[in-house]
Amino acid sequence: MSEVSLTARSAAPEGSGREVRFRGGGFQPRGRRWVAPVLFVLLIAGVEWGTRTGFISALTLPKPSDVMATLIDLYSSGMLFKHLGLSLSRLAVGATLGALVGISVGVAIGLFSYVRAGLVPLIAALFPIPKIALLPLFVIWFGIDEGSKYALIAFGTFTPTVVATYGAVDNVDRSLIRMGQSFGLSWMSIVRKIVLPGAMPGILSGLRISLAIAIILLVAAEMLGAQYGIGAYILEAGSLYDLERLFAGVLILSLLGVILSAVIGMIERHLLGWRT
Amino acid sequence: MDIRLEAISHRYGDTEVLRDITLDIPSGKIVCLVGPSGCGKSTLLRFAGGLERPLAGRVLQIGDVPDGCLNPLTYVFQDFALLPWRTVRGNISLVLEDHGIRGARAEAIIADVLARTKLTDFARALPKQLSGGMKQRVAIARALAVSPAVMLMDEPLSALDSQTRELLMDDLVSLWTRTPFTAVYVTHNLNEAVRLGHRVVVLSRRPGTIREVVEIGRPLSERGYADPDLERTQKHLWDLMREEARAADEELIDV
Amino acid sequence: MNITRRHTLGLLGGAAALGLAMPAIAQNRKTVVGTMSLTSHAASFIALERGYFEKAGLDVELKFFEAAQPMAVAIASRDVDFGVTAISGGLISLAQKGAVKVIGGALSEEKGIDGQQILASDAAFQAGLTTPAGLADKRFGMTTAGSSFHYMGSKIAAAEGVTPQFVPLQKVGAVIGALKSGQIDAWSIVPHIAKPLAASGAVHIIGKVADYLPDYQVTTVFTSSSNASDDKGRVEAFLNAFSTGAADYNDTMVDGKKDEAAVAEMVDLIHKYVYTDVPLEKASKSIINGSMRLNANAALNMTSVKDQLAWFQSEGLVDSSIAIDTLVDPSFVEIIGG
Repeated sequence: MSEVSLTARSAAPEGSGREVRFRGGGFQPRGRRWVAPVLFVLLIAGVEWGTRTGFISALTLPKPSDVMATLIDLYSSGMLFKHLGLSLSRLAVGATLGALVGISVGVAIGLFSYVRAGLVPLIAALFPIPKIALLPLFVIWFGIDEGSKYALIAFGTFTPTVVATYGAVDNVDRSLIRMGQSFGLSWMSIVRKIVLPGAMPGILSGLRISLAIAIILLVAAEMLGAQYGIGAYILEAGSLYDLERLFAGVLILSLLGVILSAVIGMIERHLLGWRT
Repeated sequence: MDIRLEAISHRYGDTEVLRDITLDIPSGKIVCLVGPSGCGKSTLLRFAGGLERPLAGRVLQIGDVPDGCLNPLTYVFQDFALLPWRTVRGNISLVLEDHGIRGARAEAIIADVLARTKLTDFARALPKQLSGGMKQRVAIARALAVSPAVMLMDEPLSALDSQTRELLMDDLVSLWTRTPFTAVYVTHNLNEAVRLGHRVVVLSRRPGTIREVVEIGRPLSERGYADPDLERTQKHLWDLMREEARAADEELIDV
Repeated sequence: MNITRRHTLGLLGGAAALGLAMPAIAQNRKTVVGTMSLTSHAASFIALERGYFEKAGLDVELKFFEAAQPMAVAIASRDVDFGVTAISGGLISLAQKGAVKVIGGALSEEKGIDGQQILASDAAFQAGLTTPAGLADKRFGMTTAGSSFHYMGSKIAAAEGVTPQFVPLQKVGAVIGALKSGQIDAWSIVPHIAKPLAASGAVHIIGKVADYLPDYQVTTVFTSSSNASDDKGRVEAFLNAFSTGAADYNDTMVDGKKDEAAVAEMVDLIHKYVYTDVPLEKASKSIINGSMRLNANAALNMTSVKDQLAWFQSEGLVDSSIAIDTLVDPSFVEIIGG
């Protein structure tokens, strides 16, 4: 200790005055990877302790270990894949449909003034509609089976995708488009090679939000007429006031969200490696 | 192939930007347009290449487009305008694809223009990996790939630092010396104008009119850094412009 | 004035002791009763309107629910003191968690009285679903898994030796819509909803629940476990007033012991809470048609309750270890069977 302070002191020339105080610290979030897992484990351990000792009543929260056991039962009985398979196919069909139509319409709005003038107010009117409210209508239109579920998820992903897409197209660097024109590129080439790749970052970040909405709507879609599916499982658990199953279902949905977000992250890294 | 600008006038709303500009761009020469900021020199360049239309006057091509020329009027932009998601090679092949040039033919052209701009080793690099000077060399290579009859260069070196600018000027001179090309070169930098221009056109402040055309006879290859003759020409140009540049600078911008 | 700290404490202690000593019913606390806009809740409406609650010393406030499930949760959370609703998986789960107890019976099926009806959609009816025997692989509507509709449908189908599909639709309104539009094939529901639906021609009655589940204890009276164990005075007061209301209802609407004027008066009373959006002339027919027996003295049919619990357990909807005492506190009312 003393040695260190001695050398530090002697390094400064005699009578050179005070060292300038460092004041540039903070305000820079740093990666502290261990914090999240530790907090998570502490939280779970706390709930486990609370429910075991009775500090938290059985009405308030289930035992985390019971939730885990429920998940294992669900897995070993094979029901997990029955629920998950149906939900994933609903998500896949609905979200793909909504995203594809949404991207096409968004690009059309971005490119054509007439389409923009006609559709932007319409999209603005559709956006705030709580899609869940339309579920009974969709049941009449598309039937109580998969049709209405696809439609609800598709409609829910459609509007945010459109808004994100035309915003992204609007934000494509105009100087790149002008460059394309100056080299005599055809309209199709400019759209395909300049506008679409340029809009891709915006489209993908819009897709992140759309897919989260799709998962939320999955539960809503499975409210009417679904006997299987993660959403139906959660709703059934809720109506039976079975907290273990309720939490098990919610956990599966959260995992689904994390996985989907990671997949988009991978797609972004792959497609958008050119970004600085 | 020559280009002639005939009696060009233009206004944006109530603001008159160009008035009665008539100018010839002779084949094989570099014509520099200089003038205070806001004098309409970049607008004039956009008219020359057909990216914008003047309210009065016209732009004429005189003579036939040379053989093998894919895009007679080709721009080089100040901000490079490279597609960030394409490699150096991909950015050049972009402008060939629409002409149906692919495969070996495209490879040959790309290899040639990369060699001429000393970029052969960087064919696979992405724009984000390149310095500003390198990016502009890619843009020049891309322009050369379509063998233009006239290069329309809009302040191509203005976004670069002064050392890079010197290096690129040398590159442009050696490119021209090997194969003379026709160019309209817009700049606000008088040093670039006297180093690269066979003819320097001085525009007045808004509305832009031609104040003087200065011919510089000395071959490009003989114009060096800090040459006294060129300094004199440059000073002459500056004397023409100084008051107007000050006035232009003090003008309120109304958008 | 010379009030010392000791004095103050003494006063406070005295007040507290007085509070504890007072019977619960005399405490100036509101009693919240959960109901739904159905004639099966008529006993509560009558007891309130005719002052039976007041006579029993209860200051009652009615709280309306759209479904049985939230009512059970509200009792568990102590927002509601008493509720009347069907035994559902959720109610049993809450009982298992020590939150609620069944304390008496309310609505029950009885042979000879048009109880709950089994309905078929028009499309399914035309395609041959004319008796419950044809329910095999048909879509049977229910609000949620573990609801009374699930129980009824399952028991009816089992009696016929067939297995339908059960389609959860969350709300009674949604089930009605799905049945009318042919999205589902069959359902069972209380008569005052079933009969007008059948009269409109959109659905058809294909059987009676009473034929399959005689003496089915359709709804029960329940309260929070803490009320049942610590506030017995209040529970007894409530059950007394409720039973008086139920007796009035049975006499007038079910057993025909009263004259037409009395029926009209009672219909008028019930109409304040049921079919409020329909004019009285129209509503009265449904209210009269929909009359079902309310258990006298809130007696509870234990045989039926045990059967329901066993069914929920056999379907894996609730924990199989739940004993009948966990669900029912039989100390308040007469127990039938069991």
